[in-house]
Amino acid sequence: MKKINKYLLLSFIPLALVACSKKDEIPVANSVTLHFSNTFKNTPIVLGNASSSTATVNTSAEGQAHRFSEIKYVISNIRLIKADGNEFPYNINDLDNGATVINHSKSQTLDYVLSNIPAGEYKQIKFGLGIKPELNTLDQARFPKFYAEAGANDTEMMWEWGTGYRFTKLEGFYGPDNKEMSIHTGSTVEGGAGNYTQGVDAYRDITLNLTTHAVVGRNAPAINIKADFDKLLSGKANTILLTSGTGMNDNATPNIHTAVQMMKFVDNLGGDGTSDISGMFSVGSVEN
Amino acid sequence: MIKKVSGIISALLLFLSCNRDDIFDPLPFGNPELSLPIPHGFPALNNSVNTNKPTKYGVELGEKLFNEKKLSANNTVSCASCHHQSNAFADNNIQAVGIYGRVGLRNTPPIQNMAFMQFYNWDGNILQLEKQPLVPIITHEEMNSSILEVISKLKDESGYKNLFKKTFGDEKATPERIYNSIAQYGYTLISANSKYDRVKRNEGAAFTESEAKGYQVFQQKCAGCHSTELFTDQSFRNVGFPLNTNTNEAGRARVTGMLADYMSFRVPSLRNVAYTAPYGSFGQFPTLRAVLDYFDNGVLDADNLDPVLKNNNRRIPLTGEEKENLIAFMKTLSDSSFVGQ
Repeated sequence: MKKINKYLLLSFIPLALVACSKKDEIPVANSVTLHFSNTFKNTPIVLGNASSSTATVNTSAEGQAHRFSEIKYVISNIRLIKADGNEFPYNINDLDNGATVINHSKSQTLDYVLSNIPAGEYKQIKFGLGIKPELNTLDQARFPKFYAEAGANDTEMMWEWGTGYRFTKLEGFYGPDNKEMSIHTGSTVEGGAGNYTQGVDAYRDITLNLTTHAVVGRNAPAINIKADFDKLLSGKANTILLTSGTGMNDNATPNIHTAVQMMKFVDNLGGDGTSDISGMFSVGSVEN
Repeated sequence: MIKKVSGIISALLLFLSCNRDDIFDPLPFGNPELSLPIPHGFPALNNSVNTNKPTKYGVELGEKLFNEKKLSANNTVSCASCHHQSNAFADNNIQAVGIYGRVGLRNTPPIQNMAFMQFYNWDGNILQLEKQPLVPIITHEEMNSSILEVISKLKDESGYKNLFKKTFGDEKATPERIYNSIAQYGYTLISANSKYDRVKRNEGAAFTESEAKGYQVFQQKCAGCHSTELFTDQSFRNVGFPLNTNTNEAGRARVTGMLADYMSFRVPSLRNVAYTAPYGSFGQFPTLRAVLDYFDNGVLDADNLDPVLKNNNRRIPLTGEEKENLIAFMKTLSDSSFVGQ
């Protein structure tokens, strides 16, 4: 009996091998890589300090020259929309496996690989800039990996006092004398969804149509997403003039400026959620 | 074969049942709810108290955690390091001092009567006390740790295992249990046994002449904001105090995103105020007299300066005698039993 079983099992192996080697068989799933390019308009950004001669310098609509020494932002809540309109959510309630910190100074963070995406044609991508309120609680026990990634000394993507993550952290310099620019965004909202009792929600949902359908199957496509930081000061929502100081309207250095000033940057970077659902983001190309 | 499997299963069962704590401890500890003594005339409880009612062992555990220096990265700072009972759970530093002597943004607030508060901290960023303990644990200038680091240090200590079990039914240390028990302890810190209270309750105490006059001035010139038996209406106001120029400071506007809240802070309770010098959101004033002199001389203007001041030439005029009497009255709000004296 035992022996027969063994032979029976063995006889399946060649069959399985044959199936795997059939050329027209399409895998049921493959990966999709999101590649983030941070630019000023169409120019890729080079980071640098105030005295750097290589840093990319941009000029805002208000005529202010500015440059970055640091660019970081959180991407989460990723959804891929199939050609037929069906949505595939990618670990949207799991920050450890569905969220990432894009850090311009670490090239490996500019590619975020979504694994095990069902085969098919995709026409659109949605994702969040920041973290939706219900997950934005610095819950280290629930998401230790993302907590460590965001809280690392060289990352500093946490707002301790607000017990939430920083959604964007931009450091740099502006104006003829290279004054310090430090723009951080994050949510302070309290209470349950639809019943917020106080605070601001800096999470922004982004929707981008793919320039050509991403075909997942035999190939593992890459979607090139451009983040145009020219929009920071010269956005669809707000044209911003930076001023330094500690008054209620100053907006350049306050690390955590009044949430009022902060929300103007938020709407420029991530859209206002209604008339502008792409903010600074666009799809450059899709590589199938 | 079947015999073997069932043998293994029963061995496993035996092993599991041997590990069950109740075999060694057949009589589970009772953990009775504590009834909070609600002082006469105090406002309603914060709703969170009803979902995290203080229990005998929960409060004991919370107090132990409150005094636990292992909450900090290098085991040097506990909650009690800044919240001294003898200072009504505040301290005498201008701004809070945490790990490695790092100086925080603001003055340590006294913690008292929190069960009756709807907002916590100078800017009211926290609405439920259970959400507060994580903040100092992770803040760079306070304890600079993380909740899992804290748990890793405490989870195997018999004192904690015992208290977690007595409180929650098993020994497991979880973030929520830590937050909840510290909050439970916080809810029990009720101060309502000052001379003022004993006068109000007709318990034989009487104001001196100076205190009585001070109380009159207080009712005319201060009680608009320092109202109710908590001596705060829990509103947020810009009263034109000298500004904290740290770029992290925006007062309540940092939380709400409303310009009207710029550099507004919660009206502080005046209970035990004599124990909590210096005063102001970042300790601008060394004494009560300095605060009163400032109001008398005139405060800074601002677009959102509180109307009470805006409509009165940015001043609360006070004579020297009125100030002395006011201070005498404010000292009647000192609750010596609360501060352990």
